[in-house]
Amino acid sequence: MARASHPEAMAPPRKGSTRTAPPQMPSSWWGAPRIRTYLLFGATGVVYFVAGTVVLHLVWVLGKGPEAWDVAMSSLSHPLYLLFHALTLISLVFVGIRAFGTMMPKMQPRNGPLPVLPGGAVRGLIYGAWGIVTLLFSLVLAGKILP
Amino acid sequence: MKQLLLKLEPIIWLLFGAGLSLGTILLTGFVLVVGLAIPMGLVDSSAVDYTRAHALASSAFGRLVALGLIALPIWKGAHHMRSLAVDFNGGDRDGAVGGFLYTAAAVCSLIGIVAVIRL
Repeated sequence: MARASHPEAMAPPRKGSTRTAPPQMPSSWWGAPRIRTYLLFGATGVVYFVAGTVVLHLVWVLGKGPEAWDVAMSSLSHPLYLLFHALTLISLVFVGIRAFGTMMPKMQPRNGPLPVLPGGAVRGLIYGAWGIVTLLFSLVLAGKILP
Repeated sequence: MKQLLLKLEPIIWLLFGAGLSLGTILLTGFVLVVGLAIPMGLVDSSAVDYTRAHALASSAFGRLVALGLIALPIWKGAHHMRSLAVDFNGGDRDGAVGGFLYTAAAVCSLIGIVAVIRL
């Protein structure tokens, strides 16, 4: 019968600080659907950042006067702007579905005074708010409501 | 820089969370109408002619919405770009990358505040 191994048998010859390997993205990340979705969610940050600066530009030229505003509005018809805004819309829907539909129903405080709602109820509330605000905001901007 | 970012983390996360939720909710209608429907001719461009756009945006509520449309997506974007940089490049340069991105977001937000004040 073999002897029990010594508990320090695999210890390094000199004691030192414990080192862990730095986390690395696996080279096969594009082929892994969960990592890919996670990274695409992060990549929407680039689109959001640029979209915010586009709105900043529009608000800035609105403060400059009618001529600058008309030039800025006509430039939005450029195919690159249209492509970017289509990409922004896709990013918004992707972020909305991932954040509102899958993340936020699981992020409810479990030890607070409020009851924990079923996931479907949270999804319905957030999607409802998103839809109503989008509809109202779109109607206002399109001139259908508010003169 | 890394220590400063750790101290500012509650504020950064607040702005990131607001950008993710409110930014998405606000930006969708804006992009649909101003970014796509009007340039494509689906909605009459007179809906956002200078007089009407200025009247809408220069009200107190309009200024608040305009600032939200500027700052919230930018903070969401800055934080997500930082985490993307950590995912691909590790945390060695996180302090510098995060510092740069949050400074850019703060500068854009300040310019946004000036932009809505001067409407």
